[in-house]
Amino acid sequence: MSETGPFHYIGKPLGRKEDQRLVSGRGRYLDDIVVPGALHACFVRSPHAHARILGISVDTARAIPGVAGVFTGQDLEKWTNRLRLAPPIEGLHPTEIATLPTDKVRFHGDPVAVVVACDRYVAEDAAELVEIDYEPLQPIVSLDSALAPGAMLVDESLPTNLVSHQKFAAGNVDGRRRQAHAVVEASFSQHRQTHVPIETRGCAAVWDPGRAHLTFHAGNQVPHPLRSMLAMRLGIAETQVTVISPDVGGGFGQKIALYREELTVAALARHLRQPVRWREDRAENLMAASHARENLCRTRASVARDGRILGLELEIVEDFGAYCFYPANYMSRVVAMILTGPYRIEDYAFEMKVALTNKCGNGPMRAPMAITSWVMDGTLDAVARELDLDPLDVRRVNMLRASDFPYRMATGEVLEDITPAETLESAVKAVDYDAFRRRQRDLRGEGRYIGLGICTVVESTTYGSAFYKSAGIAGSGHEAAWVRVEPSGVVNASVGLGGTGQGYETALSQTVAEGLGVDPSQVSILTGNTDVAPYGMGSRGARGGTAGGGALYLCALKAREQVLQIAAHRLDLNSAQELRLLDGQVERQIDGRWRATGLSLGDIAKIAYLDPTRLPEGTSPGLDFSLTYDPPPMTYSNSTHACEVEVDVRTGKLSIIRYVVSEDCGTVINPIVVRGQQQGAIAMGLSGSLLEEVLYDENGQNLSATLADYLVATACELPNFEILHHHTPNRRTPAGIKGMAEGGVMGAIGAVTNAVNDALAPFGVVADRQPLSPQYLWSLLQNAPTASRQEGKERSERHE
Amino acid sequence: MKPASFNYHRPQTVEAAIGLLARYGASAKPIAGGQSLGPMLNMRLARPEHLVDLNDLVELDFLRASGEVLEIGAMTRHIRIATAPEVRRAHPLLAAAAATIGHYPIRQRGTIGGSLVHADPAAQIPLIATLCNAEIIVSGMAGTREVSASEFFQAVMTVDLRHGEMLTAVRFPVLAATTGWGFRLFSRRRGDFAIVAVATTLSLDGDGRFATVDIAVGGVDSVPLRIDLSGAAIKGEIPTESRVSDMAAFVADRINPDDGATIPAEYRRKLAAELARQALHEALERTRGVAS
Repeated sequence: MSETGPFHYIGKPLGRKEDQRLVSGRGRYLDDIVVPGALHACFVRSPHAHARILGISVDTARAIPGVAGVFTGQDLEKWTNRLRLAPPIEGLHPTEIATLPTDKVRFHGDPVAVVVACDRYVAEDAAELVEIDYEPLQPIVSLDSALAPGAMLVDESLPTNLVSHQKFAAGNVDGRRRQAHAVVEASFSQHRQTHVPIETRGCAAVWDPGRAHLTFHAGNQVPHPLRSMLAMRLGIAETQVTVISPDVGGGFGQKIALYREELTVAALARHLRQPVRWREDRAENLMAASHARENLCRTRASVARDGRILGLELEIVEDFGAYCFYPANYMSRVVAMILTGPYRIEDYAFEMKVALTNKCGNGPMRAPMAITSWVMDGTLDAVARELDLDPLDVRRVNMLRASDFPYRMATGEVLEDITPAETLESAVKAVDYDAFRRRQRDLRGEGRYIGLGICTVVESTTYGSAFYKSAGIAGSGHEAAWVRVEPSGVVNASVGLGGTGQGYETALSQTVAEGLGVDPSQVSILTGNTDVAPYGMGSRGARGGTAGGGALYLCALKAREQVLQIAAHRLDLNSAQELRLLDGQVERQIDGRWRATGLSLGDIAKIAYLDPTRLPEGTSPGLDFSLTYDPPPMTYSNSTHACEVEVDVRTGKLSIIRYVVSEDCGTVINPIVVRGQQQGAIAMGLSGSLLEEVLYDENGQNLSATLADYLVATACELPNFEILHHHTPNRRTPAGIKGMAEGGVMGAIGAVTNAVNDALAPFGVVADRQPLSPQYLWSLLQNAPTASRQEGKERSERHE
Repeated sequence: MKPASFNYHRPQTVEAAIGLLARYGASAKPIAGGQSLGPMLNMRLARPEHLVDLNDLVELDFLRASGEVLEIGAMTRHIRIATAPEVRRAHPLLAAAAATIGHYPIRQRGTIGGSLVHADPAAQIPLIATLCNAEIIVSGMAGTREVSASEFFQAVMTVDLRHGEMLTAVRFPVLAATTGWGFRLFSRRRGDFAIVAVATTLSLDGDGRFATVDIAVGGVDSVPLRIDLSGAAIKGEIPTESRVSDMAAFVADRINPDDGATIPAEYRRKLAAELARQALHEALERTRGVAS
């Protein structure tokens, strides 16, 4: 198929190797790992959003038969180091977190004490008996109250709740505003959500007193950084820690940080000299693992008469929750940096404010910059409404064209090898835009309201070290790989990624196969054990394909080079230039045709390992290769999403009629895996936009700690996704891989909301916040200025 | 999310079950399908000292349609009620409502008795039982008594079961072939409890005018509400579009929902009106289908 392009193995729709075990119940998740003699931990959590801890009495709990111990923040202070986050970022206050709080609790669900017992039942019995004397404090549960002058401090070491504040300006937005035909303001409010991995957090810590070594089993996306962090927080050397991350039931960004519960369990295993394990339950996961989103964006666009954007200003305010497990500027920063995406906007300014509140701490969640494309395309829709222009025309007039690339965005980031105009036009063609408008007009006459939303996404996928550096975000973007051809010619390879169900064992085996020249069935990918895997930065963002696949591909090329050199020597050739390795067989080009040589990879491997005196002079025995790879500062994929909806104005019910996405994610390693990511990402974006919502009441009580309250879309609520493909390779990455898997979230959020606003246009109302619940849409219509006011003056009539 | 410890009993006969319930009184809780009680135990919202597992009481898993009455044993699973030909013939409304309960695995386990006793104000079975004046059969040491649905549901998750009693069966009057019925359930996702649910049955006279109309609404109060339509002066009226809308508005005026954390009372009221309108139309379609 065309997706294979110049490749033999990359681009083939190979069935996922891991599915055999994963769908037949033979996966090995944390709970499948038997740890003899392990104790079970249960955390005692705060019932208050904000309260001073006056005293903790553990005697009654400790007296329960089967309880091995009850521990508090005071105990953990002795055995662990605090997490201090103080990256040199202007406008970001340093923060410090104790392993368990000793002075006060900061959100409903904050862990205060831990019970360790013979099983989880006893641990829960005892946890109920831990008596904690609280002095309730005023909870901060909104951005407004957090940022009000004299507000109660969530973190008393900070001067205010404004933990991070940055400004940026390029060009002259003030001047542009004065020149503008119109200045259009728009607002976008995204609610709090959480990751909901099927497998909640959990860990099993085994301390070997003889070796003074910790083996830490935990489902995690970044095993090596987790190991470093564990060692640092426990005050031991990295050589004393092994992290084993087995099959992991989803992460979505929730399994990156070292959480306080996990560190506590590791410290207790060491203290008690007995294995300790912890499996977070669903209520804990929804309430206290990590939250995401909850940000408010306001834009102000200075526009010309034809909708061209002359200048754009963004204000983004984020509710970061109570604790910083990541630098507080991190997520908002990416939104602000890539906001202008596919559009030519030279004059751009932003202001970012991140505030602490008495809620569970925020972290990155699949598309940390999820709101970006909604804000940008939603702003264009606001321009279209205000100027009575067609929203598609406003997009076209602002969009970057093929001849514009490489294009340096106002923030300095360089876009290249992307095709937003192409994906826009193919999506618009697929939905037959003009026919839709006619249908929309006809149905309005029958009292039915359909809408079409368009959202074009430029997705930042792979963050190289240079981006981290220039964006003021701590971290590195490199990845590490090794490839080992075994003596029989089969191949083991490893990379520092931590898979959570993406299909790495299949897709990454294809990158190794491509680089080396063997069938992917001969390649095994080993990840998730820090004694085996090289030190890489793990899985986050959409870096797996480019950074991980790229590193493996380059490493496999290195292996191939040596294999062919040996082959040339065996064939008495001066060089390997006329040789190639395909399906594990060495072939030689003679008169323009590839012919078998009779030598196989197995033959070469046998010599390399078992008969090294037959190797060319200077070649070391064995076939063992490794390298590290730092991707370009940033790679981008792009897509256009088109969503058709109908809103039932009597009930507010929103139905998705049709969903088309046109995506260009460069070289596709495995179309089955990519399709899964496209579907999963769009599903996640729609689920978040329509249903999911972390809810706190005015006292900071979490009201969404069950899956009956925190609603996740099922197959019944989601439409079929029609996917159109473009394949523009990135010229700076190995094999042209770009990465993908978060853009679908970004596009879905924007497309569905834009579609709702298109449907509701006759009523003169705009949905500027999510979720798009039926009661919200209904309430918008209740407050509509005049129903069907604009019915008579159809937009298209004026512009035809 | 582990239950507090309890003593587990698995009686083999109804008599034995009643004996256990009588002996342990308020400290005992029967469990049938466990689709609501299971999570409540795990979250420790329910902490009975004694759990009486009714799943061996196969004698309570039955459907008996005889003449005017469809009698259903308490341990009959939702899936059977939704699919059994005798229910679809004798009470198609009940079958249709049962088919919307939760998801397939939930319907495989959940029982009609469990749903009635659990008495979630938004649940399907209590709504249909209320609409149809079902008779609920409860048995205890002192014998068996029959309670009408209107008296059985007392408050949120509170029913007329006395010390040592258990629900053993429920009797629905068979729906006449000429009765039209409608059922509308509105929820955020398929399988969720209703925000509002409306069920209606009606019949027309020989002239196509309303003879009888009954409507019940779930999810808007502490128990399902059977709306008293006597004030609406419907009997003998022609079922026009505007008459149906007036009836729906009348229904909405008779309910008084509370403001929820995410759902305003006014939204529920408007939703009830719209669902009542749709359910009445559905029922009228069915009567016309029968008439023609």
